[in-house]
Amino acid sequence: MATKAYTLPTNVAPETVANIRSLVRIVSLALISAAAISSRLFAVVNFESIIHEFDPWFNYRATKLLAAKGFYEFWNWFDPTAWYPLGRVVGGTIYPGLMATSGVIYNVLHALNLPVDIRNICVLLAPGFSALTAWSTYMFTKELKDESAGLLAAAFIGIVPGYISRSVAGSYDNEAIAIFLLMFTFYCWIKALKTGSAFFGTLAALFYFYMVAAWGGYAFITNMIPLHALALILMGRFSSRLYVAYSSWYAIGTLASMQVPFVGFQPVRTSEHMAALGVFGLLQIIAFAELVRSHVSSKQFQTLLYASVVAMGLVGFFGIVGLTYKGWIAPWTGRFYSLWDTGYAKKYIPIIASVSEHQPTAWPSFFMDLHMLIFLFPAGVIMCFSKLRDEHIFVIIYSVVASYFAGVMVRLMLTLTPVVCVAAAVALSSLLDTYIDPTEPVPEEIEPTEAEATPQDPAKKSKKAAPAGNPTSLGEYFSRFTGNTNKPRGIFGINNRLIVLFNTFGMLVFFVIHCTWVTSNAYSSPSVVLASTGADGNPHIIDDFREAYYWLRQNTPEDAVVMSWWDYGYQIAGMANRTTLVDNNTWNNTHIATVGKAMSSSEEVAYPILKKHDVDYILIIFGGLLGYSGDDINKFLWMVRIAQGVWPDEIQEPNYFTKQGEYRVDDRAPDTMKNSLMYKMSYYRFNELFGGQQAMDRVRGQQMPKQGPTLDYLDEAFTSENWIVRIYQVRKEDILGRDLKIANAFEQGRKRKKTKPPVRRRALA
Amino acid sequence: MAGLWRSRAALLLLSLLSPLVSAEHSFENTAIVRTVELGGSLVHVTTTYAVRALEDGSSIYTVALAEDEHKKTSWIQAKMKGETASLPLEHFGLNPNTGAYLYAVEFPKALKANASANLVLETVQTHATYPWPQVAAQKDQQYLKYEADLFVLSPYYTSVQRTKIRAPTPQINAYTTPEDMESFTQDAPVTKSGATVTYGPYSNIPSSANRDFVEGVQKRISVQYNYPGPKLEVTKLERAAEISHWGANLNIQDNIWLHNAGPALKGHFSRLEFQSQNYYNKISPSTLVSIALHLPAGVHDVYYYDLNGNVSTSRLRTTPSVPKGSNSNQYTLFEMRPRYPVLGGWNYSFTLGWDSPLADYAGYDKESGSYLVGVPLQTLVPGAVVDEAEIKIILPEGATDIKFYPPFPAVMNSVSEHITYLDTKGRPAITLQYQQLTDKHTGVIFVSYKVPFSAHLTKPLAVATALMGLFALAFAWKRVDTRIQK
Repeated sequence: MATKAYTLPTNVAPETVANIRSLVRIVSLALISAAAISSRLFAVVNFESIIHEFDPWFNYRATKLLAAKGFYEFWNWFDPTAWYPLGRVVGGTIYPGLMATSGVIYNVLHALNLPVDIRNICVLLAPGFSALTAWSTYMFTKELKDESAGLLAAAFIGIVPGYISRSVAGSYDNEAIAIFLLMFTFYCWIKALKTGSAFFGTLAALFYFYMVAAWGGYAFITNMIPLHALALILMGRFSSRLYVAYSSWYAIGTLASMQVPFVGFQPVRTSEHMAALGVFGLLQIIAFAELVRSHVSSKQFQTLLYASVVAMGLVGFFGIVGLTYKGWIAPWTGRFYSLWDTGYAKKYIPIIASVSEHQPTAWPSFFMDLHMLIFLFPAGVIMCFSKLRDEHIFVIIYSVVASYFAGVMVRLMLTLTPVVCVAAAVALSSLLDTYIDPTEPVPEEIEPTEAEATPQDPAKKSKKAAPAGNPTSLGEYFSRFTGNTNKPRGIFGINNRLIVLFNTFGMLVFFVIHCTWVTSNAYSSPSVVLASTGADGNPHIIDDFREAYYWLRQNTPEDAVVMSWWDYGYQIAGMANRTTLVDNNTWNNTHIATVGKAMSSSEEVAYPILKKHDVDYILIIFGGLLGYSGDDINKFLWMVRIAQGVWPDEIQEPNYFTKQGEYRVDDRAPDTMKNSLMYKMSYYRFNELFGGQQAMDRVRGQQMPKQGPTLDYLDEAFTSENWIVRIYQVRKEDILGRDLKIANAFEQGRKRKKTKPPVRRRALA
Repeated sequence: MAGLWRSRAALLLLSLLSPLVSAEHSFENTAIVRTVELGGSLVHVTTTYAVRALEDGSSIYTVALAEDEHKKTSWIQAKMKGETASLPLEHFGLNPNTGAYLYAVEFPKALKANASANLVLETVQTHATYPWPQVAAQKDQQYLKYEADLFVLSPYYTSVQRTKIRAPTPQINAYTTPEDMESFTQDAPVTKSGATVTYGPYSNIPSSANRDFVEGVQKRISVQYNYPGPKLEVTKLERAAEISHWGANLNIQDNIWLHNAGPALKGHFSRLEFQSQNYYNKISPSTLVSIALHLPAGVHDVYYYDLNGNVSTSRLRTTPSVPKGSNSNQYTLFEMRPRYPVLGGWNYSFTLGWDSPLADYAGYDKESGSYLVGVPLQTLVPGAVVDEAEIKIILPEGATDIKFYPPFPAVMNSVSEHITYLDTKGRPAITLQYQQLTDKHTGVIFVSYKVPFSAHLTKPLAVATALMGLFALAFAWKRVDTRIQK
């Protein structure tokens, strides 16, 4: 027997060990779930139980309707208050999975006499599902390596900021449940593939359906699974297991996904879904060929068969291409193109490019979102190569594809995070396995692999039968590169083990500290409520958004139409309950461009547009007083660009820059800029606030002109405490039928006759 | 239901008593002094009747309120001067002959002939003032107008009568000077000194609670005065009080719909102007910036939110519980700051709730085995009238023998069922509806009920059963083999 670095108790019954292992596993998973949930509650503790950001407000509003009026009412919901005057068929233009989930939870709890408020369900849905994500990641990683790697992966995904960023309490968005569905669908797929079980294939299809109903990102699964299947086929790993798993998944999953109205016939008519269909066809052909081959022995026949298989494949491929050209199958959508060409969106679909989460990822954010996992990730992927079972190929493909996507769009960091956690867990768990294992290397004679048996891990015993080329520990893995296996290699003594283990432990501790810090500081702000520190050092809350929205809700007519940039559409609908022109469901580019045009034109041009759309109030966000940089002046260029896309003759982006090409709001700002509605509304009476001193815009850091803008067609109706939200009322037409500007000048001219009549008169002429 | 019966009984009584009521001979008023304390939404009127009996054994005195006055009067109380006990008031409704609403007051002792007594009638009028001018710019002062009848109606002859109208500030813009008053006074019919406008004294007023007088002699007077605070109305108040014996907790939650009934804002709200007014401490009095609400002492877990979440602008200063029965004036101060300043004509709604130890409100009577809980009727919003109030008291699950004693008769009351956390069959809930509550409508609604011991155990039993069922299911799931092939 080999020597041991330390001794383990031997008088414990195997059943006891198994029971304790199972207990520890359950307790660990419970603790991981608790950690995952509680770390997402920073937002509730620091602020309150509130829906965050923009899209969640719509989801929340839809869920409230679902809870109050039932599923059918929700399904047939036509919302006349959005996209005024067009309205929006909500039931057919959303992924209802999220709302349905909350609705089911709500109804179940109420049936059990637990009258939980629907808002709290919505707020806590994401943390709750993050616990489920941790569990499904555990199951997934267990299939790759073993339970201990699974637990590590679960712990990683539970607290990693890359996932928390989209699933804090209150972040009631599709991604909240989608990552769980993604991981569980993949787990079912791996399981189906390993066992060739139609049951797990069906389960994968059902969760795929749930995913389709919940998130537009389902296309990732739609392409990942066929890609994996194709890779397996190309590697010559076709098996009946693959055939059963893929066919049951594809057939049931596709039919089910077509039941979602928003998806409809897309799975058979758009290019994004063609890969899945193509691989399905390919699998049928190959299965057929395999069947024939097993019955026929003639060599020539086989050659013929292969030729015909290839021919059929090509026919199928060109068939799809042909159908695409004919228009039967829709070509790739713009959103998809923007994944390949990062400049594409900016050129052709500015609305997509204008969203900050669609920008390419900066390098530091990889570290911020994943910390040490980003270093362990490649190691884990390489370790997958060493075993290279079917599921390892899946992880390899997944990591390559997701890494690329995460580099293209900040938002897609979310799909990368699970695989990073899985791969990092595999790597770290291998490291720990190697260094915790008490077996000392034995000099000479005995083969290293023979000595590698780990007594406390029966799962590893099966791997002993594997060929010697498959190393089971890191040390051995590196020994292969040095080429010298005669000398005993491995870890000697307890000190070496402790040093490495201690360092690993330290890294894990730093990881936890980092995750907690990032979560509490960067990802837990509701963005509806801003935190700051008061003069006395106490936390102070800047609540301008809710103040203004509540004012709108309480003190304007119920049918008032509010125009704002599309970012605030959902919030106005959710918090102020008023009709909006455009909102975050950016389905109608022209309508958005109309709003952009109104904002970027002069008052005279904008007024007819406003009147035509029955606009009563205009809401803008202005951060100049407080230094809130996410305001409308900073977004203004996107409004100009989007308007220019539709009216290139009337709105031109260069007109909004100075001659030197600078974007300025001070004295040097070009006239087009100064006369634009947005500029006027933002800075209306702003310089009066400084009591004679020169006004300072704290976001742009520029001094404002001495003479502030004047408004003829609008009245200031409300400005919030810190001037972040300003609401203007559109004036009614003059009762004498005059142009409002002339009417205004007439009134003021009479008043100011003595002070400066000549200027007024000249300005009029 | 009770209200209906009461009014029917009153009608019945009225038809029987009409000859008695209109008996003008039993009393005469030696003097009537009416003092009107002008306010925003609430106007307090105190009328003192110096009464002389004309016959022996006169004990039922009739007080009259004009139609308009009666419509505005939300609270009424009669007392002998200098005493604290209020006298029973019998309401007879509108007498078509007299054109006035009559109330009968029974003196504690019957008066002998020529004996005199002083009766004090206190009323609170709501919606008696209105902004005039009806619109005002953001920086303008706020002026309200109060209208009333010149003479206090009485079915008896009155020797001397005067009306004092006291405004909160000396700034009184206008007041009516009644004309053709020669038959009642030789002096000026109205005088103003400081913040008080005095009508009278007028002498030799005949019995006035009749049509001839009301239509022929009675005059309307109005006073336009400056009011230095927001004129607030609570258009709707919903209070839910939930009694929990397991939690030893009384939870009270108010949903309050506030309306600033001052002059409507002329033009638009300018934050710039508001901030400079704030800086110079010159915010227009009609603007509601914050209100101080006095919550009971000993409350904890106070929450205040509106439809958009926590009202982060508000502040709370808590006070620990005071022993029951002690005469302490302590309270928890809650400074309610609406999200935005509520200007004239604007609305604001919010929810305010708190928990308090049940022991501060409840008692147990060992003899009858019933609990007695006192639920405060309302938390006063200073200076505001509550147009509609709905007070719901939720009793513990399984409560029986429910009796309730409101301090003021409700417009409507009902007992319904309320289901909340971990209930199996629901809790009985008492709902009382009120209209036009004023600052005099304070007090406690006493509720007595019994809870059998078994009802106390329903909740833990239900939870235990559910959990056991869950464990049993898990147990069975683990041990039953569902595989088809082995």
